[in-house]
Amino acid sequence: MSKITKSSTAEYFAKNLQQVGFSSPLKAVLTTLKEAVDNSMDACEQAEILPEIEVQIQRVGQGSSKNTDLIKISVEDNGPGLEVDDLAKVFGEYLASSKFGKGQCSRGQQGIGISAATTWAQLTNAKGAFVISKTASMRKAVSGQVDVDIKTNSGVLKNKQTLDWDDKKHGVRVEFAIDGRVQLNGDGGLITYLEGTVLVNPHLTLKYKLLDNDWVTIERVSNDVPDIPVATLPHPHTFKLGEFITHSTLYGKITLDKFLKTGFSRVSDQSLKDFVAKGLPKALLSKPLTALRPEDFKKVFQIVQDTDLMAPSTKSVLTVGEDALSKSIQRLGETDFFSVVTRKPAICDFKPVVVEVALARFKHRNLEADEPVQLLRFANRVPLQFDKSGCAITWAIESVNWKSYGLSQPKGSLPLGPYIFAISLVSPFIKFKNASKETIDASEELVEEIRRALMQAGQKLSRHIKKESKEADLERKLAHIEQFGPILVESLVRITDSSDARKKRAEEGLRKLLGRDSKDAMEDLEQAAIKLAAQKTREAKRRGHDPDDDTASSESEEENDIIEVTEVMKENKKAARTTKKAADKAGKKSASSPAAKKIATTNAAKKKAGTKKK
Amino acid sequence: MAKLISVRELKIDIPKEAQILAERMLSDLEKSKRPVLEAVKTSLDNSFYNPKVGYLTPGDKRVRTELNVSSVQKLARVVFMLEILLRNLDIGAVNTKRELYYICKGLIKNDAKLRPLDFEDQVESDTIVDFIGDMLQVYREELNCFANDRGGQTYSQQLVVTETMADGEKATIDLSTLGTAPFQPKNKPQSLRLKARKKIDFCLVIESEGTANTLQSMGFTKRNNCILMGAQGVPSNAVRGWCKLIEEELAPPMYFFGDLDAYTLQNIFRTLKAGSAASLIRNSHFSAPEVRFLGVLPEDVKKYDLPFYKVRESDPAEARALKKAKDALENDPFFLDKKNKGLSDILRWLMKEKIRCEQQSLFSVDPKDPIKMEKIILEKIRNGSYV
Repeated sequence: MSKITKSSTAEYFAKNLQQVGFSSPLKAVLTTLKEAVDNSMDACEQAEILPEIEVQIQRVGQGSSKNTDLIKISVEDNGPGLEVDDLAKVFGEYLASSKFGKGQCSRGQQGIGISAATTWAQLTNAKGAFVISKTASMRKAVSGQVDVDIKTNSGVLKNKQTLDWDDKKHGVRVEFAIDGRVQLNGDGGLITYLEGTVLVNPHLTLKYKLLDNDWVTIERVSNDVPDIPVATLPHPHTFKLGEFITHSTLYGKITLDKFLKTGFSRVSDQSLKDFVAKGLPKALLSKPLTALRPEDFKKVFQIVQDTDLMAPSTKSVLTVGEDALSKSIQRLGETDFFSVVTRKPAICDFKPVVVEVALARFKHRNLEADEPVQLLRFANRVPLQFDKSGCAITWAIESVNWKSYGLSQPKGSLPLGPYIFAISLVSPFIKFKNASKETIDASEELVEEIRRALMQAGQKLSRHIKKESKEADLERKLAHIEQFGPILVESLVRITDSSDARKKRAEEGLRKLLGRDSKDAMEDLEQAAIKLAAQKTREAKRRGHDPDDDTASSESEEENDIIEVTEVMKENKKAARTTKKAADKAGKKSASSPAAKKIATTNAAKKKAGTKKK
Repeated sequence: MAKLISVRELKIDIPKEAQILAERMLSDLEKSKRPVLEAVKTSLDNSFYNPKVGYLTPGDKRVRTELNVSSVQKLARVVFMLEILLRNLDIGAVNTKRELYYICKGLIKNDAKLRPLDFEDQVESDTIVDFIGDMLQVYREELNCFANDRGGQTYSQQLVVTETMADGEKATIDLSTLGTAPFQPKNKPQSLRLKARKKIDFCLVIESEGTANTLQSMGFTKRNNCILMGAQGVPSNAVRGWCKLIEEELAPPMYFFGDLDAYTLQNIFRTLKAGSAASLIRNSHFSAPEVRFLGVLPEDVKKYDLPFYKVRESDPAEARALKKAKDALENDPFFLDKKNKGLSDILRWLMKEKIRCEQQSLFSVDPKDPIKMEKIILEKIRNGSYV
């Protein structure tokens, strides 16, 4: 029989880095960046500091493995900084985390990611992470290289030095030099990641430089550090038997009833009575945990699962909020229109969850009308960029009938169009399909909750689309009159061999008839604009805004749009009256001129409104 | 130039009717009244079927196209195309639908004012030509517009066709003297008379032209006193008119042999036997009500152990055919008529079993026997195994 050996956690991950996001050179760069930024963001939020993060990605040479470059990834934050003793633990030890199993909506959870990045750097470039750290109480900053001691799963700080770090009061800078390749755009691109992070973190100021591109600075649009809700205890219905027993070992010798009440949420004295009513021997409740046999645990567990308990509290989830999301979305570019929805926290599979959705169409992004929408998925405010097909968010989008909101959609697929769909899921207990946290497991309840949020956002979006289609309809109708009217009349005159006088009379008659139709189209447009305005006012009221004061957000853009449309319609009506008078008076101009005039007037009015806005 | 052969004796004067129509439209416009164009509604909900008549006939429903900003494009196109057709009638010119499409393209290209009328593809211009026919209640052929010849390749050792040309000259075509070449009816009116040198036992129309050719190569018409024809899919007006002529002049038993699937039954066989909803005003001249469905029948699949396939509902065309079959059973007067119960039973069977069986499957019954298909067809005719 061969000898059975025991491996350290670090050894396991060193051999299985693909499980935590290092499955290709492309993903290695993105995962390293992501883990560093996640840590910085979490640290800032824990310390209630408004985050300012600087990211730089450089190609510094050739990688040691085939077809790779040596990529330097630097992330610097203004967080509280790490004490010298913690540097090795944080960057060099697996499962050393301040957040593990805490029941908080933090980005990082287990303490694997950043140590895995250090391991990857060590494996591919023979050097771990270079770190600079300074806390408010330190006079000078400390720098050094952290390596993972793979045999013992512990971090080692080498070349420790102290240094003056500009005027920086506190923060951490970490640099990794790894084998990798850089992809900027597309689903797995660095820009997609950074933009996603910016979108769901309105309080973040981000400065980044990617390869040879210029530095880009995106300022924060909110000065509120998210209020991280207090950690919540787990709900017993989310546990499996093994977890239940392991959880009990954290509580030492206390009695079973105390363990149930203090180790879980929603277990009250009444619940204990209910357990007894369901057949739990009373004597067992007063026994210390250490005296319980495995079969006792099984019985307790089964009865607890079988008993109705109050749903868990939803206080442990945090939201970005519609207001902040509306402002944040503008940081990604100028929008044609957008709609945002923040659902109330809900319970799915006994876990508190909140879903937020932002759907937007941007003016200057190269998104194609016949391509699927660009999907940005977030879990606890971290972008998910791979394996979208199995994700609960993707399933929910595909289950919605987007055609009813004015978008085209092949059956059972993502809708098409130049839109960005951003869906954020926040929960202290998100169930991922894999350790690299790329796909959210799709339970029926969760998909339904996301679907509802999407439908709400879709309804709002459809108002914009309807208004736009009415505008297009009006323009099309005006163009039709101009284009086809004269051809129809001239052909009829030729077939009947009629005189010029008849031709003129027919042209005038045609103008009158089609003028009535375009008037109807204008009224339709007016109605669509009024409905959209009403929706905007309702939303502003709900969020406690006076729509007139809301100058910074897109709301004002929308209001302006509505004013613009109303002005256009007024201009159109005026133009129609003028045209009618002119036609009555002279009857000389061709049938095409009034429509051309109308369109010109429409465009002029639009331009005018645009200039005013500026 | 000799006068063109006509399909029927036309009771209306097309140019005069068109003039009246244009005059009415112009006069409406002068009064700021919306001109309206009306045509027979060519759809199933305006189709009637009487087995004694034998083909689908139109009801009273009409489609009205009133001038408004949405319809102005269609009306302008109708009047534009009408002008071209009237000119053709005036000078005795004929064109195919495709030629008309390119004539329009040419005119539009050379006149910037006409550019908005431009057709994106031929389907758009075909629709306008058909609308004009339905509006004036005349056949497309009567507007001097003919489709390309397609299908109807016919073989026989007994059939003799006498054609009277437009100038009165006569031509006699003895199909037994054509060697390996078939006789093919034209997709334009022809004046044909038929004679049989010997009594013709049956006329067999095969859905696939290729399979008809194979049977002929194996000597089918040498061994049988018959007419053998390839339909080449959905029968064209030429095939439909040709079958009708054979039926009227020679009255042989008429059989159709094709795939066992919903598409063949509804789109190919129903059109051959009773016409279609799209051609409601033409069905009286373009349908052969006596033709029977020889197969493939559901019982043949079992009897001859024919290979069959599952209908792939993921395939949009097949899924559409199944949906159409369901619609046909609910709304098609042809399949609703109890005289055609045998056919609607096949449709129901197809929908239930969700399988299809190709006409060519007969070749696999005994691959070593090159005339096995012929034997099965003859056996089926002998045993009355048809619907």
